[in-house]
Amino acid sequence: MAEQYLPERQSPLGPEYHPGSHGNFEHGVDVILSEMRPGTILQLAAWPGEERQLIEIIGKVTGLALPDGAGGGVSSGARAAFGFAPGKFTVVDEAEGLAAAFAGAITPAIGTLTDLSHGRTAIRIAGPRAEWVMAKFFAIDFALPAFPLGAGRSTNHHDVFAQIQRTGADQFDIYVFRSFARSFWKALCHASEEVGYEVQ
Amino acid sequence: MSPRRTETGGRIDRLRTIRFTFDGAAYTGHAGDTLASALLANGVTLFGRSFKYHRPRGLLAAGVEEPNALVTMLRGEVREPNIPATMVEIYDGLVAVSQNRTPSLAWDIGALNQLGGKLLSAGFYYKTFMGPVIGPLKGTRFWMFCEHFIRRAAGLGKAGTAPDPARYERMNAFCDVLVVGSGPAGLMAAKAAADQGVRVILADLEAHFGGSANWSGEIIDGMPAADWAQRAVGQLEGNDNVRLLPRTTVWGYYDGNTLAALERVTDHKETPAKGEPRQRYWAIRAGTVVLATGSFERPLVFPGNDRPGVMLAHAAERYAVEYGVLPGQRIALFTNNDSAYRSAVALKKAGATIVAIIDVRADISNDMRRLAGEAEAELLDGHAVVATEGGKALTGLKVQRFDAMSGALSGDERSIHADSLLMSGGWSPTIHLASQAGAKAEWDPARQAFLPPKPTQRWLGAGAFTGSFSTAEAIAEGRAAGVSAAGGTAAPAALPTVEAAPGDPDPAPVFEIKAKGKSFVDFQHDVTAEDVRLAHREGFISVEHLKRYTTLGMATDQGKNSNVPGLAIMAEALGKPIPEVGTTRFRPPYTAVSIGSLAAERFGDLKPERLTPMHDWHIANGATMYSAGLWYRPMIYGLPGETVEQAYVREAKATRESAGIVDVSTLGKIAVQGPDAAEFLDRVYTNMFSTLAVGKARYGLMLREDGLAFDDGTTWRLGEQEFLMTTTTANAGKVMQHLEYFLDVIWPELKVTVTSVTDEWAGAAIGGPNARAILASCVTGTAVDNAALPFMGIVHGRIAGVPVMICRLSFSGEMAFEVYSGAGYGTHVWEALIEAGKPFGLVTYGLEALGTMRIEKGHVTGAEIDGRTTARDLHLDWMLSKKKPFIGSAMMDREGLIAPDRLELVGLIALDNRPLNGGGHIVEELDEANPHDSLGHITACCYSPALGKYIALALVKSGKARQGTRAFVSDPLRNRFGPVEIVSNHFYDPDGSRMHG
Repeated sequence: MAEQYLPERQSPLGPEYHPGSHGNFEHGVDVILSEMRPGTILQLAAWPGEERQLIEIIGKVTGLALPDGAGGGVSSGARAAFGFAPGKFTVVDEAEGLAAAFAGAITPAIGTLTDLSHGRTAIRIAGPRAEWVMAKFFAIDFALPAFPLGAGRSTNHHDVFAQIQRTGADQFDIYVFRSFARSFWKALCHASEEVGYEVQ
Repeated sequence: MSPRRTETGGRIDRLRTIRFTFDGAAYTGHAGDTLASALLANGVTLFGRSFKYHRPRGLLAAGVEEPNALVTMLRGEVREPNIPATMVEIYDGLVAVSQNRTPSLAWDIGALNQLGGKLLSAGFYYKTFMGPVIGPLKGTRFWMFCEHFIRRAAGLGKAGTAPDPARYERMNAFCDVLVVGSGPAGLMAAKAAADQGVRVILADLEAHFGGSANWSGEIIDGMPAADWAQRAVGQLEGNDNVRLLPRTTVWGYYDGNTLAALERVTDHKETPAKGEPRQRYWAIRAGTVVLATGSFERPLVFPGNDRPGVMLAHAAERYAVEYGVLPGQRIALFTNNDSAYRSAVALKKAGATIVAIIDVRADISNDMRRLAGEAEAELLDGHAVVATEGGKALTGLKVQRFDAMSGALSGDERSIHADSLLMSGGWSPTIHLASQAGAKAEWDPARQAFLPPKPTQRWLGAGAFTGSFSTAEAIAEGRAAGVSAAGGTAAPAALPTVEAAPGDPDPAPVFEIKAKGKSFVDFQHDVTAEDVRLAHREGFISVEHLKRYTTLGMATDQGKNSNVPGLAIMAEALGKPIPEVGTTRFRPPYTAVSIGSLAAERFGDLKPERLTPMHDWHIANGATMYSAGLWYRPMIYGLPGETVEQAYVREAKATRESAGIVDVSTLGKIAVQGPDAAEFLDRVYTNMFSTLAVGKARYGLMLREDGLAFDDGTTWRLGEQEFLMTTTTANAGKVMQHLEYFLDVIWPELKVTVTSVTDEWAGAAIGGPNARAILASCVTGTAVDNAALPFMGIVHGRIAGVPVMICRLSFSGEMAFEVYSGAGYGTHVWEALIEAGKPFGLVTYGLEALGTMRIEKGHVTGAEIDGRTTARDLHLDWMLSKKKPFIGSAMMDREGLIAPDRLELVGLIALDNRPLNGGGHIVEELDEANPHDSLGHITACCYSPALGKYIALALVKSGKARQGTRAFVSDPLRNRFGPVEIVSNHFYDPDGSRMHG
């Protein structure tokens, strides 16, 4: 197995990644920031009319039962999936190699599979002030009723396109283009300073 | 004890002393004071100089509408001008200075302007600077001569030039109900909405919620109104569904119930906490808005109404009740309505002597007579103030009998000794946001005020904003609005009871007392009643013209005090009722907004930037980085002592002699997938892609719909239904949008997905005579010889264990390969290639060498595909398929696009062996001083190590036909003129033998 000799993937955050507590944390940290580094990030797209079939395939391959409807999603810890555009889904796995599992299942009649495991960086923000900090970046309603658990959204901050999935009551996973990741991370840390944050 | 501070009272913390300076003098105040209240407590009466006449001015108001007491706040090197002292909360170390005075507030040389009063009346600039003036200084030229002096003499504060180090943030908020204003109406609305379980935001521009409850002295639910308000705030604070935003001015009401607000987060703090912004710009998307913004008390217009010591009645009441400060010891009041009587009683209770209440009305109600008695004030009904006395502080006033119906004065003047004159000209609902939301205000003849329009967006009004000036009405309307905004129905619960002073909300329709002397309408812009009449006499009778001619309402306070009196005076001059004159529409912002808060944090370190996977390696290995759009790319890898030219020449030369490697990760990459992908590409590109074999790449050109060249790049066929398109770095986003547009809108039937995979792949281009040997030494799993990897061939293998995809193509003109790996392995593969290249003298090269080699080869980039050139102009007509239509094919043969004199791509060689410059023009004439028309311009230039000459690419009229001829470069801005030879753009290896090997 050649894969076992693969080097560790380099994080795009590089010198801007500083584990520990930062900002105004003397009274505790209200936000925890981390890079998730999943092994697989896939984009799955269904042709019009094939969406339900693709949702079924996602369920079979990942075990994730995606709700029907715009922006619906689900996360199970190791795996997550959410719709981010009509007929389009992001599927994430802690492990590498999920693309191969889909390759045979998604036929040209159903849609396409695009591997973005290197191209997107997953950043997690969690904690009681996560919504507060996120509101500094995105014109999205982050309140739980408006943005339910598991759901996904496509949006952008300045020029940085982002997909966001709510993976906890006070936790969001943000997927940004790798080339923007360091810049976005810096901004996220900066915005978190006032509430006190910890980088894990 | 300061001279004006009362013994007790106010919500200031008398145990906490705050030290600050104003105009260099040290003062003290208490926590909870505003700069205005603290200075007033210290006996300061002079706060500023007026805009035009430099008249001494004191405090007029106690809130956001203050027109006179504008100060400049200093924090370190940063100065912020034009801040109302009434809105500044003092903190230890605060430094404020007055403005628009030279050399000092007390002795201002600009006060001489008062002598030229008539000259400086409305229309001064138009009359003085637009018409001809005798002599050389006329019209605009005269203005330019005078401008410097006028700008020094007239104006407000002076902005600073030091960079502002403060943090500003943007915040997005969503709510079901936004309540603007936290007086009794706003508090009731917020509470009622919150009780329905919806999400509520309550915003107030003041530091303390409560609005008029903080100073009205009324009793609500059996307790002082201020306590009732604090109890209500406490209840709201306990609700998870309520967000309270004090110090937050909602300044803009936009479409879709989107509102803009500015929160002054730390302006009141000596030192912000770590990470705390100075100000926060809130973009609020509200389901429904409850406007409970209250009302403004209006001044009366009479001679000397701007003298320091003349103040709005409610403002004095606020200073006394909220801050424990009396505006004077002997106070007179001048009013056309009942509300001033309550102020008189409040001030009396606070310890002042009320010497007189002068009321324009002859028929005073018994209730008001009783209140006047309670204040122990002499009541002068049917009287008016006709003059004020004093210099920089009021010493007295003169009154005369007045007929409110005719406006006539009669009888003898009587002098009254007073150090403070409070005026009340009625109340104007604060309808600014409703007006911004998009409808015309409606005049109410009873209230003598403009009331809010009928809503055109989802908002409801409550309290004084609607013209309901009593607290009981505010409470009832507030609750109703809150319930309704939340989509509920009101439970039949009892409303809080209110014990308030009696009073008729309707004033007498008296706005001006016509007597001798300057009577100010707009205090901040020094517009007098006579200016309004002058505008009328000169034909500016439309309210919009009046505004612009006199600048009434155009100062930073946007006429919060002055609009209605100004309109009333104009209406009288026109002989029309006020509603026929109309009013101007309010526009955002309601109050001044800092540019910093609008810019928020998108500069410096926080500006978005894109980095390639090998970015840190480049920095660590001496690269000088260059910003290309949002990307950062190595420009050169300079050696110590090298110039940029020396570095790129060395890098390019070494590449052509042996091998060089460059980071090409920034190239746009788009996955084009699906059963119709090939068909789609045939339509998008000018040339054919459906015939491309799997495992091969092809150079492609795209046109815009108008037939002009759009972008170029190679596209690789990775599978029968899978292509990897590459674009130029700069156009990646535009190409993606272009493709998505055609798929979504024009050809939705095509089964194709396009996905940006630019960031998925790290790209390294390795080129030069030894490039293949270097690859052969480090690539496993595939051969890279000519058979396995021919020109435009693609193979898959591994480098240092990492899967790679290699395509043989060349931008440099050398035998070259682009090596793509997963971005997370980019540096790993890059370093392996560098290591493999060491025996061959492999060099890293940057954008400059890349550009040099592409110029030598005559390849085009965005400098030539500039939105004006066609494929033919760039000699790419061989790529225009005749077998199929494609985007742009219908338009590319338009007459103008195939004209023989179009600018065409050529090469240039400097014949004087001096550098050429991008943008330099090509001319035919030898005469440097008179070079005649431009034939075209240089698009890219370099020193060519391959040719040993300075060369350039250029777009030149009929360029192809000029090849082999001479011309001149004319670049007067950079003092460059010299001979050039026009040649083919293919300078180097024109037959491609080096590239094809």
